[in-house]
Amino acid sequence: MNLQTEEFEIEVTGRGKRRLYRRRAGDEEVEKIIYADDGNIVVCPVEPVNMPKIGAAEHLMVELKKSVIFEPDTKNTFYVKFPIEVGVFTVDKKDVERIDIFTTVKAKYALYGPPESGIICRWWRSDVYAEEPEVNPLKEGVLRVDVENKYHEWVELQKVVFRAFDMKIFYNEHAYMHGMLTLLKKTTGETSFNTRKPKNMHGAIDIYAAKGIKKFDKKYFMEWGFK
Amino acid sequence: MNIVATIQETLDYEIAGIKVIEMIEFAVIFIIAVIIARIARMAVRRRFKEKLSPTTLNNMEKVVYYGIILIGFFIALPKGVSLGGLLVAGGIAGIVIGFASQTVVANLISGLFLMVERPVEIGDSIAVGDVSGVVKDIKVLSTTIRTWDGIYVRIPNEKVFNSNIYNYVAHGARRFEYTIGIRYSDDASKAIDIIKGILAEHPLVLKYPEPDVFVSELGESSVIIAVKIWAPSSHWYSVKKELLWKIKTILEENGIEIPFPQRVIWMAGGEKKEGRGKGKQR
Repeated sequence: MNLQTEEFEIEVTGRGKRRLYRRRAGDEEVEKIIYADDGNIVVCPVEPVNMPKIGAAEHLMVELKKSVIFEPDTKNTFYVKFPIEVGVFTVDKKDVERIDIFTTVKAKYALYGPPESGIICRWWRSDVYAEEPEVNPLKEGVLRVDVENKYHEWVELQKVVFRAFDMKIFYNEHAYMHGMLTLLKKTTGETSFNTRKPKNMHGAIDIYAAKGIKKFDKKYFMEWGFK
Repeated sequence: MNIVATIQETLDYEIAGIKVIEMIEFAVIFIIAVIIARIARMAVRRRFKEKLSPTTLNNMEKVVYYGIILIGFFIALPKGVSLGGLLVAGGIAGIVIGFASQTVVANLISGLFLMVERPVEIGDSIAVGDVSGVVKDIKVLSTTIRTWDGIYVRIPNEKVFNSNIYNYVAHGARRFEYTIGIRYSDDASKAIDIIKGILAEHPLVLKYPEPDVFVSELGESSVIIAVKIWAPSSHWYSVKKELLWKIKTILEENGIEIPFPQRVIWMAGGEKKEGRGKGKQR
């Protein structure tokens, strides 16, 4: 197997049970030996919170380059871009195991909320699009955000925070997520994901499911405002 | 026949109203319960090691382990032993032991308060008194810490409870800072821009709260630039180790140097002479 792009190269060589996995992205090179009778290698986008240190964050913060203001009691949709992290997995009938995760975009983190109780998020800044934007599929994915303003006042939005645990990524030519944001007050809201698979798209492997963690529908409560 | 009769007689012999055979049964059942408890504890650890936090896993292991032992204890109790009587005896013994060992009781109660209040959790980087390191276990009587140089330290819970506890990872982010001195002849604004650029490139230097870089002092030999950086608490130390030398190197690549201490000396009636060091005259 050989997957070569301008941004990275993945190669699996060898015969019989023993295979050599080799990946190059930028200056970084990774080599791993795989012993397997059966099974496939799957390359797909994963929740963008793992680079450069797994465990540094469990949330994604998308900061909007331009604020968006929502009228009371309305429903609207906009699109933003999100950073791509690529996961490489070995898959057989019994189990899914992560071999490697990498990215070709620069990672940055930010604190959402105060230092004593806030959370570390993978930070990303995006333009706001009325329609699905074109993306470089190796660097960016499309995140559709359905916003419902349930509050009786106008609400201004400069950032939105999603929990990686709730994410469901789909892909074909590019990665895609469908997020939802409910504005409850001027400074609080809830985010979640629509997990229904869009037509002509594949469901990406979920890194939490790959770890054996059972997922359940849950919402993330944005309690520290939208600015 | 004689041996069998002797064994039978021994087994039926009563000590404090309990037959020897019942005592043996108690010991066997209790030992089996301990073995089962250990197996169950190991099973819990294997099953949930990657799914639960170390503290939760540790508590779950303790509940399973001591729960099984307690059940085994009650199953193993000889029929002649009254549970009420045992509890009364245990209570009285507890009071006696309590008076005899007040320190142990103080540690026990402090341990319970620590478990409820949870100022520290297993795996946290903390400092208690003059000991700092990673919390390895929080037991009923003591807390064990592995110091940064790998030494096992057991601290009685009473001491932990009564000390100032510094938990370095209790919050998601923490700040650290450098003070960097540059020559008076260097452009401080340029140096600040360069440092800000380095910080912007590093993924684990937090975007928010933004790092703060400014001239904090006009020192004797150098212009002091303060660099205040927020990083995830879980990774701040690696960021701190990595950045200082990088800043120094890149500043020097851009012609900005960190001067040695220097002093200008004026000789009475003579020429002006510069003090030691590479820095230029102010």
